[in-house]
Amino acid sequence: MYRRWLWPGFALPGILWLILLFVVPAYAVVAVGFGTVDPVLLQPVPLWNPADWNTGWLVEVLHRLQPGGTFFGVAVRTIVYVGVALVLSLLVGYPVAYYIARHAGRTKNLLLVLIILPLWISYLMRMLAWVNLLAIDGYVNRFLTYTHVLSEPRDWLGGQSSTVILALVYGYIPYLILPLYAALDRIDRSHLEAARDLGASPWATFRTVTLPLSKAGILGGAVLITLPMFGDYYTPNIVSGAPTTSMLGNQIDFYFHYGGQPTIGAAITVVLAIFLTVLMAYYMWTIHRAARDVPAV
Amino acid sequence: MSVAAERPAASISTGERVRGWLRNPWGRPRFLVLVTWTYVVWSIVPVLIAVQFSFNATRSRTVWQGFSGRWYWGDPVDSVWHDPTLRHAALQSLKLGGADVLVATPIGVLLAIGLARWRGWGSRPANFLMLFPLVTPEIVMGVSLLLVFTHVFTFIHTGTIAQILGHVTFSISYVVVIVRGRLFSIGRQYEEAAADLGASPTVALTRVLLPLLTPAIVASAAVVFAISLDDFVISQWLSSGGGTDTVPIVIYGATRAAPLPSTNAIATIMMVLTLLSLALAFLAWRAFTREERRASVATEFGGFTV
Amino acid sequence: MGTENGNRGQIELIELRKEFAEVVAVDGIDLDVPGGEFFSLLGPSGCGKTTTLRLIAGFEQPTSGRILLDGGDVAYTPPHKRNVNTVFQNYALFPHLNVFDNVAFGLRRAKRPKAEIAERVGRALELVQLSGYERRKSSQLSGGQQQRVALARALVLNPAVLLLDEPLGALDAKLRKALQIELKALQQEVGITFLYVTHDQEEALTMSDRIAVMSEGHVEQVGTPETVYEEPATVFVADFLGTSNLMDVTVDGADGDGCRVRLGDVVLRAASGATDARGEAKIVIRPEHVELESYGAPGENRVPGMVERTVYLGSADQLVVHLATGDTIQALVRHGRSTLYEQGTPVAAHLPADAIRVLAR
Repeated sequence: MYRRWLWPGFALPGILWLILLFVVPAYAVVAVGFGTVDPVLLQPVPLWNPADWNTGWLVEVLHRLQPGGTFFGVAVRTIVYVGVALVLSLLVGYPVAYYIARHAGRTKNLLLVLIILPLWISYLMRMLAWVNLLAIDGYVNRFLTYTHVLSEPRDWLGGQSSTVILALVYGYIPYLILPLYAALDRIDRSHLEAARDLGASPWATFRTVTLPLSKAGILGGAVLITLPMFGDYYTPNIVSGAPTTSMLGNQIDFYFHYGGQPTIGAAITVVLAIFLTVLMAYYMWTIHRAARDVPAV
Repeated sequence: MSVAAERPAASISTGERVRGWLRNPWGRPRFLVLVTWTYVVWSIVPVLIAVQFSFNATRSRTVWQGFSGRWYWGDPVDSVWHDPTLRHAALQSLKLGGADVLVATPIGVLLAIGLARWRGWGSRPANFLMLFPLVTPEIVMGVSLLLVFTHVFTFIHTGTIAQILGHVTFSISYVVVIVRGRLFSIGRQYEEAAADLGASPTVALTRVLLPLLTPAIVASAAVVFAISLDDFVISQWLSSGGGTDTVPIVIYGATRAAPLPSTNAIATIMMVLTLLSLALAFLAWRAFTREERRASVATEFGGFTV
Repeated sequence: MGTENGNRGQIELIELRKEFAEVVAVDGIDLDVPGGEFFSLLGPSGCGKTTTLRLIAGFEQPTSGRILLDGGDVAYTPPHKRNVNTVFQNYALFPHLNVFDNVAFGLRRAKRPKAEIAERVGRALELVQLSGYERRKSSQLSGGQQQRVALARALVLNPAVLLLDEPLGALDAKLRKALQIELKALQQEVGITFLYVTHDQEEALTMSDRIAVMSEGHVEQVGTPETVYEEPATVFVADFLGTSNLMDVTVDGADGDGCRVRLGDVVLRAASGATDARGEAKIVIRPEHVELESYGAPGENRVPGMVERTVYLGSADQLVVHLATGDTIQALVRHGRSTLYEQGTPVAAHLPADAIRVLAR
């Protein structure tokens, strides 16, 4: 009916754009990270031919990531922050998603709007809100001293790991709840009724039917939030000024904007990207699979 | 043999109901209700408080001292209206948002249609490529774009053009995902019917497919606008300093220095704009697909039936 | 209405073949449909009937073969240039247009003047008894009404052939029966060729002038409903249309105007079908031709058996009879004669020679 070349033709502008402004830039990172530094101008010299690649910087970065190296602490800290934030997000997010998907009844639509809302409020705005609340004379301190939980106001914003982790949770948990909700909502009621019919208690039904069936959603949501978290540098900067809470993203940011050594920054980025490849591949596979579940147009 | 007739329990008395609840306050639904609403409050109230403080009468963001519009337009120096930094930032954000919509939406719509129907060998890698920006952490994209403008496309310097190019790059995939969902709902049948009735391929595309895609196009435009307004990382990495700073960048700077309630004010303004555009898109979607919903044609939006 | 320009709506498929990636959907079929017929393509899902329809409509291009429409090969003509229109399974009414605009769509593409469009749309809607519905949106119509709009939309263009892809599938049984009668009447009134795809054999038998029974990409048999039902050419056709009471036999030799067949220990005379065949074969006999008599009744072609089960069908009884030869057959008995035939009754199944049809393996 249509000429066969019409469809690739439609796709061409977008593909060209993505090649020029996504693939080429990605290669530029690799070329700089595997490049050299001009000794006079102290500028990075990208090497485009893989045959010329200088693995020196990459090795240097990997070296620094080893125990005892300058990046080791940051790397460990990043993994710990992300891990704890993920666990906390799941602990809070799963019950919320579960309730909305399965028990909410008439309030379901309202709750859906309320949990989708934060996704559209600027991340910066949401962090700003907490900066206000966590100030020395902010509501949090005032409430906690008033109820005598604290004897004096605490400096939440002065380099506290707990603040950073809580900020990460606050910032990213909406991105976890939504896919979790979707997965739980998809579970056919008849499966649960069948389990009950066959003698399973509510808890056993949850454990043996609901939880396994939601595993894909848990995994998907977990990947969805850990990917950006690993690259996050702004959250520690906003809720904690101190270098003692910096994450890997801050290192990259530093070498580009303050340390004047983009090559190291690029090399770290390469390492980070490789580390995240597994997660990214899994995420892409789930999107791809979700799209394939519908009949071909 | 007589059996003592037992009176079946017709209803449970209130006392019994309360006792039942108390005996198990951790009964699942109750516990979940508590957790859920606590989460919702914890999630939204801080933002509401921030909005509230944008109307504070004094410079404090932590002590409420009365309602005032000074941070929006009143204060001759520091209000959003008067402070050139804030005004420029707002304008820059709107500029980027508008440009992003105008460029990313058409490219994305074409890409969505092309990818959905392309059967050749190139379609798989093309699809793969389209998904990549969605999964890439923003800092990686920021680094890569900065380096490409410094070392490859050196005729483009950091600044507005670079920011627009960056925004479009991450926005295209969102358009594709949204439009693709709508394409699957529609299927091929309407274009085939049109061709059957004598419409040339061009007419089938423009007079049948495109009108049917309109809700998705409008929705994706609104989404692109929203994510562009809210973008921080790409805008920051491709910014060339004060004149090209967007609102999120200004907020970022302010939270690390000494924020005034005017920061809250401009953040509030951006938030309202974003939410308005999304609400409009949602309403437009509902309006366009009202007829189809009544005829129970599936109308899925990113996995949710609306 | 009718075909004004003298086109008879004749369709000829010559060695038409369509392959998809791994599957041969249409395996080199030949078909000849003279103009003005109500012609059905009947078969189970996957037999290629819908693909054949789409090839004729132009939504698929054949791998090889020719599609002749009134003598001209249209196999590579795009669909919008063929004088053929389709009624889709899901109607495919444009949701963003109302009834009038839907029906007028093709006329507008042909750039007909406004007055002509208004007049023709009005007549088309009258034809399908939907006058007055012009301003309605398709979502405000019932399934049956939507189907009629789809019909009007296709017929208003005076095609030589109308293709119908299981148009009644989405409707409930009663509505379906009513629309079958309407469609048949419509075809006779309009006079063009209707090419009708269905998997429902009752529907095909009711409506068609002729039927092509299809299976796995090829045509098993073409014939009138009576022919295809009473004289199935192959086992598949016999089995697909109604109950066939298929049995394995050995054909011995000639016997009168038929042949002698051995069903287990019993010898029968079969006078229909491939009576020249010898050796192993199959026979079919329709349930309504099986006559049940009291056990031990004398005569040719009586097989002893026992009534295993009785199913009440409303208008008749369906009896499942287990024969002494080990076969189980179904017999259809009209009311008024069922007193004999309760479960467990020994009977003699009389299989009249003319009703036994021999099919070569």
